Amino acid sequence: MTDTSSLMTRLPNDIGGVPADHIVRSEHELEPWEKRCHALADVLDFRKIINTEEKRRGVEALGSEIIGKLTYYERWIVAFSNILFEKRILTPESLSKKIDEVSLR
Amino acid sequence: MDPKEPKHDDHGHNHDHSHDAITASKNRSYYEIMEIAVRELLVEQKLIGADEIRRQIEVLDSRTPALGAKVVARAWVDSDFRSRLVADGRAACEELGISFYDDTQLIVLENTDTVHNLIVCTLCSCYPRPVLGLPPDWYKLKPYRARAVSEPRSVLAEFGTVIPDNVEIRVSDSTAMVRYLVLPNRPNGTEKYTEEQLAAIVTRDTMIGVAQVKL
Amino acid sequence: MTSRRTALKIGAAIAGGFMISRGTLAVDDFHRMPVLALGEAPLFKVGDRIRVLKRSPIGHYRVPTYVRGKSGVVESVVEPVRVNNEEEAYGRNAGSKLHYYRIAIPMRAVWSGYSGSPLDGLRIEIFETWLERV
Repeated sequence: MTDTSSLMTRLPNDIGGVPADHIVRSEHELEPWEKRCHALADVLDFRKIINTEEKRRGVEALGSEIIGKLTYYERWIVAFSNILFEKRILTPESLSKKIDEVSLR
Repeated sequence: MDPKEPKHDDHGHNHDHSHDAITASKNRSYYEIMEIAVRELLVEQKLIGADEIRRQIEVLDSRTPALGAKVVARAWVDSDFRSRLVADGRAACEELGISFYDDTQLIVLENTDTVHNLIVCTLCSCYPRPVLGLPPDWYKLKPYRARAVSEPRSVLAEFGTVIPDNVEIRVSDSTAMVRYLVLPNRPNGTEKYTEEQLAAIVTRDTMIGVAQVKL
Repeated sequence: MTSRRTALKIGAAIAGGFMISRGTLAVDDFHRMPVLALGEAPLFKVGDRIRVLKRSPIGHYRVPTYVRGKSGVVESVVEPVRVNNEEEAYGRNAGSKLHYYRIAIPMRAVWSGYSGSPLDGLRIEIFETWLERV
């Protein structure tokens, strides 16, 4: 049986000192929704609804496959949804209904 | 692959580079629709106000490296301000009208003849946003985060910055509520510069520490 | 001491002296120092040699693996006391506050075979519960 304990004890974001490629000097102007997502994070933190550390944990908890496949702000909004469900502020049903409604606009 | 996103490998695991958005109507991605839905539900439940998000976007748009450059230029011309800045970075920025809208503290790291500072957040993307704005992509991606802390000299070389071996490179890795801003060395030949002219030569990368101020 | 604090001390001394002479305050009370609650005083001070513990938590942590078990020196005590960020991640927004410390560790002590200058150094903030005295 393979030892999977390192998946438990080493977070996917804990990368200080690991081998890595040369740096690509990428920059991009944020999409409007990404900027709104960042503003949402700041407001949630200010309102103590989701603090910054909770957001970090929420992103880590997505697991390495999702982390690897989603972009930076995509990870944030999914983490927020999960945390809001945990806190019973939103429910999966209420969010999916709203998503359907917004999709039709 | 989304043309805006670089080919990247954020974390210590191989992954697909399938960042294709699931395009809904009006070219909004699945995640943009999620963002709209989450926000509207929170506003409907009166947990946040719609105007708060709009206002925070204005706050974010107003935070650029020009603010950090102003702080550096002031420190270069006013040695009392410089002392206050090094003693309490946040309070000194607030003197210049640069508010900190979060709970973070700021430590300003002075470059000297014997020390060159570099900042990184290996665990995520902590960055002095109130005074520099949003960080560049490369700062948030694996190559910089993994290597700045273990091979800073080779990272700096990729930015065209060479620091002699008799100068210490001091790497600060932010993990908690402290944020950093590098106070770069003032170049020779700027003795007659006005504060505005000094601020104009201080770039974002010099305040991260990957570059030195050039005329 | 700032002039405001000096003025307060003088004022307190005058008031205390007045009350001592009127018999409403015992001399011992005037000089008694308040007891600090657990965690209020920093456990470590600038210059202390410390080691980062080698725990391997699951769930969430903010002490990178690369720095665990390494020894260094306290460069500064971050004030004021703050919530443990690892608990904050699970919704704790207040209470149980302790100090963070800015720790200095030479790069060659962090990485075996470090290829930069022997002068190079690391600085990192670590919460009190992750440190022990060397």
